[in-house]
Amino acid sequence: MIKVTRRALTATLLLGSTVLAPMLAPGAAAAQAREVNVLLFSMPSTRGLAALADDFEAETGIKANIDVVGQDVFESRITLSFTGGARDIDVVHTPVIQVQRWVEAGWLEPMTAQIDGLDDKDDILTGPLEAYKVSGDYYGMPFFAETGLMAYRKDLLDAAGVGVPETWDEMLEVANAVDSDDTAAIAMRVAPGQGFNMFVFPMIMRAYGGKFFANYPDDMTPAINSPENLQALNTYITLMNDYGPQGIGNFNFPEVVAALQNGQAAMTVDGTSIVSQAVDPAASKFADQFVLALPPGGPAGRSPAIAVHGLGIPAGTENADAAFEFVKWATSTETLSKLAINEAYPDFTRASVAENPEVQAKYAGVQENFLDLRVEALNLALGHYRPLIPTWPEIGAAIGENVNAAVNGLMSPEEALEAAEDEMKSILAY
Amino acid sequence: MTPPRASAAMDRTYRRMLWPASLAVGIFAIAPLLGMLALSFTDFHLVRGWSGKIGIHNFLRLFEDRRFVSSIYIMMALSAFGVLAQVVLGTAIAVGLDKIVGKWRVARGIFVVPFAVPHVAVALIWLSLFTPTLSPINAVFAVFGIEVPALLTTQTGAITAIVIADTWATYPFVMLIVLAALQGISPDLDEAAALDGATRVKAFFRITLPLLYPTLLMVALFRFIETLKHFPLIFVMTSGGPGRATQATNYYAYVQTFQNSNVAYGASIAVFLFLFAAAISFYIAKANARLSDA
Repeated sequence: MIKVTRRALTATLLLGSTVLAPMLAPGAAAAQAREVNVLLFSMPSTRGLAALADDFEAETGIKANIDVVGQDVFESRITLSFTGGARDIDVVHTPVIQVQRWVEAGWLEPMTAQIDGLDDKDDILTGPLEAYKVSGDYYGMPFFAETGLMAYRKDLLDAAGVGVPETWDEMLEVANAVDSDDTAAIAMRVAPGQGFNMFVFPMIMRAYGGKFFANYPDDMTPAINSPENLQALNTYITLMNDYGPQGIGNFNFPEVVAALQNGQAAMTVDGTSIVSQAVDPAASKFADQFVLALPPGGPAGRSPAIAVHGLGIPAGTENADAAFEFVKWATSTETLSKLAINEAYPDFTRASVAENPEVQAKYAGVQENFLDLRVEALNLALGHYRPLIPTWPEIGAAIGENVNAAVNGLMSPEEALEAAEDEMKSILAY
Repeated sequence: MTPPRASAAMDRTYRRMLWPASLAVGIFAIAPLLGMLALSFTDFHLVRGWSGKIGIHNFLRLFEDRRFVSSIYIMMALSAFGVLAQVVLGTAIAVGLDKIVGKWRVARGIFVVPFAVPHVAVALIWLSLFTPTLSPINAVFAVFGIEVPALLTTQTGAITAIVIADTWATYPFVMLIVLAALQGISPDLDEAAALDGATRVKAFFRITLPLLYPTLLMVALFRFIETLKHFPLIFVMTSGGPGRATQATNYYAYVQTFQNSNVAYGASIAVFLFLFAAAISFYIAKANARLSDA
């Protein structure tokens, strides 16, 4: 009986090991050969980077196993890998929004010495790089910095006899003038989420002088229920409900892009990767009519959105040197220039890339002053556009859900901000 | 008739055949379940780690958490309406297909198609159908000057939309099982009823439906348990919105675990969901056994 059982067990284990072997193999091999395992989530630039993996091997002799996964898969994959101490990832996609949380959890290796040692460190855009600094140490190298811009239909604004809105108050008037049965005046993301409506709404908030905290980072008392934020929320609600397309209350960026490209909306304010799709002749029926400009401002000036992504090195990796080699290569002027030429990627993080004539020619096709506009917006953008604190993902979601509820009439704007304030307090106190 | 008694050697062979499955269930289902149970008594947080605290604090917190309580109502609405719609639609189509013979039998294959579509794709299809600016439905009605309301921006509408998408994707499951059960019902019964002067409708409600009852109960139970696990449709179609109006319990467990890093609290929600599903399954299985015995 025992013999039989053991045989059965061996068979089962053998069967199991053939299934598991391919999953374990890359990690096991990386320990001895010069290999790095890179985990990225899917964006045009990361897919473009994966396509260049052979260049990296040719230059350094190190093989890069680049895995590009969906953002939802990415979250659970790294959570399991980092908390389980699997050490199967040598370079990890590090959104700036997450870096504080990951550092507090002890998931990232500091890279201060390596970054300070770069000959061309000055070429890296300061804002994005400094966003990776947590208590004096760098925990990532930026490879993507997206900022906020406005896209508007020049033909429709001209027909309505109105100029380009410079402030959100003007935007209300322009929207009123432009809105028609055929074309809604404006479409923006409203779907709840720290990366959805909370990517665009703070542009309105900050223009009116609204803040998340009393005085970030010194006084972290929640300040979301301020009169300025209420004014911003009322503007957002009016714009969306009175001048937005039907169903706007659940719009995320794909719906916004489709509405612009199909002529269902005359304006938007969103990230460069979104607004540039409105002027893309291959996809947009109104590419010739759309013009890009800085987002509207307000009493407190303009505050374009900013989203930064970078590469980090997980704590405890056995390949730290090879991993930094990869980070260095992936964020080099040469690689970023290739990406800018190959992909829809105006979001490079080195100033020198903009000096490349091929890059200049390509993005002049989007709009003559597109790259300059991007730099101008980046310079106006606050590094802490979304507060750089470990609890931001939770706080951002809580605010975003209440803001969405207010736009959809589930609660009044006052109630929504009050609820957001209470939730911020309990999250921070916990 | 009792089955022939297997020899002792045969008995052992049968037991051995259970080994691989038991091992797989043990490793991939029971062990993680126990891990989750253990986790739910701690205060483990992804970022802050574990303070060493052990107790039932997470379970006490559950019932003070308004978001959790409202997530149960949302889950129950999605389950109740979803299961009802799927069972009615699936049964109706099965009854129709059962009587169809000849080349039209190919319809059986066609009606199964939605079942083969991955849930994320189902969600994307229905998201565009329910987005007024993208939807062909809205475009067609607009020709006649009728504005179809936007479902996804109200709570009732969004729940209806998810129920519709879920029903479209899973009625074939009900249909297939009911169809199999129908083939097991002797046509003699229908003929006898017809001879006695019963109309076809009457024969269906008085004879076929009662005979299908155990099957329907079982299939409803399967669907019910599945609907408790709603996630991809919510994630893709509404992101839990408008506001938090479609954050069903399973989605809320995800929010707490992955977005808010409250792993232990998320685990306690999952444990609650598991116990809830187990209790209902047990109750229905018992009811089913009573019914089959009768």
